[in-house]
Amino acid sequence: MVAANEELTEKFKTEAIKAGAVVYKAKGIKDASNYVLTLAQERKVKHAVKSKSKLADKLSLREHFEKAGIEVKDTDFEEWITQLAGEKPSGRKTIKQVAELISKATGKKLNPDPQLLLGAANRAIRQSCIDADMGISEAGVAIAETGTLVIMGNSGDSRLAAVLPRIHLTMVDCENIVPTLEDATARIKSPGRNMADGDVSSYVTYITGRNTTADIPGAILARAQGPEEEHILLLNKATINRGIA
Amino acid sequence: MSRAMIKRVHKALADENLQTALTRLMGLIKFARQIAFTDIDFESLSKEIRRVKEKSIANLPQLVEQFKSQATKAGAVVYEAEDAEDANDYVLKLAKKHNVQNIVKSKSMLGEEIGLREHLEKAGIKVTETDIGEWIVQLAGERPAHIVGPAIHKTIEQVAELISKATGKEFGSDPQALLDAARHALRQTYIDAGMGISGANIAIAETGTLAIVTNEGNGCMATTLPPVHVAVVGYEKIVSRWKDAAAIFRLLSRCTAGMKMPVYISHITGSGRTDAIPGSTLHGAGCPGEVHTVLVDNGRLQMREADDFREALYCIKCGACLNVCPVFASLAGQTYGYIYQGGIGAILTAFLHGIDEAEDIASLCLGCIACKEVCPVRINIPRMITKLRASLAEEKGLPWMSKVAYQSILKHPQRLDSTVKAGSYLLRPFAGKDSIIRQLPYPLNSLTQAISLPAPPHQSLRDRLKDYWTPKKVDKPKVAFYSGCIAAYAYPEIGDDMISVMKKCGAEPYYPAGQACCGAPAFFAGDVETALSLAKTNIAALEEMSPDYIVTVCPGCAAVIKREYPELTASEPEWNQRARAISNKIRDFSQLVLELEPSSEKKPPRNHKITYHDPCHLKRGIGIFNEPRELLEREGFELVEMADADACCGFGGHVVLDYPELSAAVLKRKLKNIETTGVDTVVTNCLPCVLQLRGGLDKQHSNIKVMHSAELLAKCREVTQ
Repeated sequence: MVAANEELTEKFKTEAIKAGAVVYKAKGIKDASNYVLTLAQERKVKHAVKSKSKLADKLSLREHFEKAGIEVKDTDFEEWITQLAGEKPSGRKTIKQVAELISKATGKKLNPDPQLLLGAANRAIRQSCIDADMGISEAGVAIAETGTLVIMGNSGDSRLAAVLPRIHLTMVDCENIVPTLEDATARIKSPGRNMADGDVSSYVTYITGRNTTADIPGAILARAQGPEEEHILLLNKATINRGIA
Repeated sequence: MSRAMIKRVHKALADENLQTALTRLMGLIKFARQIAFTDIDFESLSKEIRRVKEKSIANLPQLVEQFKSQATKAGAVVYEAEDAEDANDYVLKLAKKHNVQNIVKSKSMLGEEIGLREHLEKAGIKVTETDIGEWIVQLAGERPAHIVGPAIHKTIEQVAELISKATGKEFGSDPQALLDAARHALRQTYIDAGMGISGANIAIAETGTLAIVTNEGNGCMATTLPPVHVAVVGYEKIVSRWKDAAAIFRLLSRCTAGMKMPVYISHITGSGRTDAIPGSTLHGAGCPGEVHTVLVDNGRLQMREADDFREALYCIKCGACLNVCPVFASLAGQTYGYIYQGGIGAILTAFLHGIDEAEDIASLCLGCIACKEVCPVRINIPRMITKLRASLAEEKGLPWMSKVAYQSILKHPQRLDSTVKAGSYLLRPFAGKDSIIRQLPYPLNSLTQAISLPAPPHQSLRDRLKDYWTPKKVDKPKVAFYSGCIAAYAYPEIGDDMISVMKKCGAEPYYPAGQACCGAPAFFAGDVETALSLAKTNIAALEEMSPDYIVTVCPGCAAVIKREYPELTASEPEWNQRARAISNKIRDFSQLVLELEPSSEKKPPRNHKITYHDPCHLKRGIGIFNEPRELLEREGFELVEMADADACCGFGGHVVLDYPELSAAVLKRKLKNIETTGVDTVVTNCLPCVLQLRGGLDKQHSNIKVMHSAELLAKCREVTQ
């Protein structure tokens, strides 16, 4: 099992690199967060956005970035509200509390009307994706045969954070690497415990390597309209559980 | 063939920028294809896609219902549009309802087909194409030149000029700077847009999901940033399951751009949602608040009903067929005049725009079968073109000249003989001492513009082989020689070569005197009746002496007899059985020599380098390409492969008569590849190819000799025995 996973990871890595991504396999949690932070610092990142990622939380990426003076904004709506409240994820808030938080963040007094609050949140999150130098995502599935990342989310922010910033980094738990495109579809169709089989996330984005264009005559050029650099950080459970290594 | 088309063909061939751009592009594509298929089993993967598409189109009504119900459940609005007007109105109304001023659009062939952008622009809405190639074409005020590479016809200087004008900044021809400028200009349009329009490469019924493929990332942005997203999707894009989509994705980009996978595939199911705000699940989180899918018919359902053309709906719009089409490589897309280009374009145009419009596109086909070979869905485009021509002939009748030629002359071998004899008296005065016609007077002058022609012989092949009309009663395999018209009326000497080689191979050759034209010219022009009549004439002539083999020197004839006769006679069981018996006996010259001399040893090296040209109908028509090479090497020749040995020489279809300049452009590429090998002889197994190559080389005053394998072999055996 372990050997098979090793092999898949290697295949994934090879294909992703061939397609133009930069792939790094982390030796441990500390090594992983160091890698990401160093990358951000070397590329002079000031603003980063992060869509939903358990791995990023495990790595305490936000704390590391903020300590280094780099702003990290959450793009997942729930995490964004939590971030506004300045706390770790906890119980549900009332709509009034949410209205207060968003009003404070946007500098506009907002009534506790859900649609109104969603609109304000949308604008703020969208703007931070537009302004960000770096986007951080997690792929729920990765496909070895093609080196493809599969980023899933029910809101569109997961796609914006992956496409708009000039540097994009995706974290992958090696256990989520599957051999083929067909294998991936099984995982995509029932991604969470609380989703019925056959349900899919509203947004499922496949990313294979770095974006390119052949539309300017003379050459195939990298960085067409998406990020300039596409980074992949591989972690495996054993590494993560080893803790500070 | 309309005057307008002839004009466009001339214009494209004379456009130096276009020709430069095309030459560079075709080189790039060839390189990409070479690396894209090394690690996969193309045959089995394409069979899988074929299966997926066949099933999807068969179950279309159910899949449409399933897609609709699933997408609606997930928060999308699905509308079914009957035609272009219906679809355009729906999108315009929606734009007006949301007071949209600016729209961003990612690439959609269907959008082009229904004229969506023009419709919205007429209503005063600004629409920006976001695919960089499409944007460049929009800036130039043109139509896309290729399904996947809209701006492939532009040179870097032209692109620099367009982008400089659009951005108000001066750019030189530095690709990187131009790309940065394009990205910068486009980025703001997504942010400002009130609506995003896209197509979809696939629609997945089981979950109501759209899949949108881009390499640039524009598809992700155009469908996520604006507050309203509309996807216009043809019915044929629907598949049942995610697994089906996976099969298509595995080949799509390999065929399109030589990439294993597209960079981005955006799957969108309904409209995005969040539970973050207490109260209820809200749609439109980080994404458009409204997602609309317009499923468009516009002729597709009619195509689904047409048995002969249904498979055109299996097309996944990868563009591979255009990339190998020798006509496309000379003309690019705009010349076709409609949205869909190349062979598949003729069929799609017939149903989506009208059969009259398709006629012109079909007239450009060389019949070289290259498209069929690369199609990842195994669509038989050449067959559909023939069927299309038959429908046209039935509907509008044949042009009067063709009618006279096929029905009054071709059909009757004696009349053909005497017509050619009469013609040869008229033409011979124009031949030089070497029996080559280099210049014919008006109105025939276009025929000798690119190639010199052989002078018609004094004696036809039938007369020449008078002594061989019946085989002797000997205990040897009987070989009937089916010559075809080019051998009969241009190169009868090949008859002597054939007889001598066959004898030396231990066979008893003869020339069935009752043979007629194989019928290919009539068949491919859509005159099925004449083709069938000729098929029967030939079947009767060929079976008469019960030959063991039928040897051919023209693969066009061989392919028609072998493949089409059984099909032409399908409704007449007795004839069909006879056609099949004849079909099984058909052999190419080289194939038969190897069969007659299975254990012959390799001859000592002759220190003679030659190259071999694959005739289209021999390689792709009946699958023979190893045998001619094997035979040449066995005879001691050193084979030097030319680039694109199996590319058409330009003599196919009616192109050589209707568009001689186009035929010449295709020939020019072939001759260049021959010359690059540095050999002094090019061998091929097709007399029409011999005529074209000889004629072209003569015009260029080249010393390279062109020979049919039968001629070369006869010469070798003469000397050695």
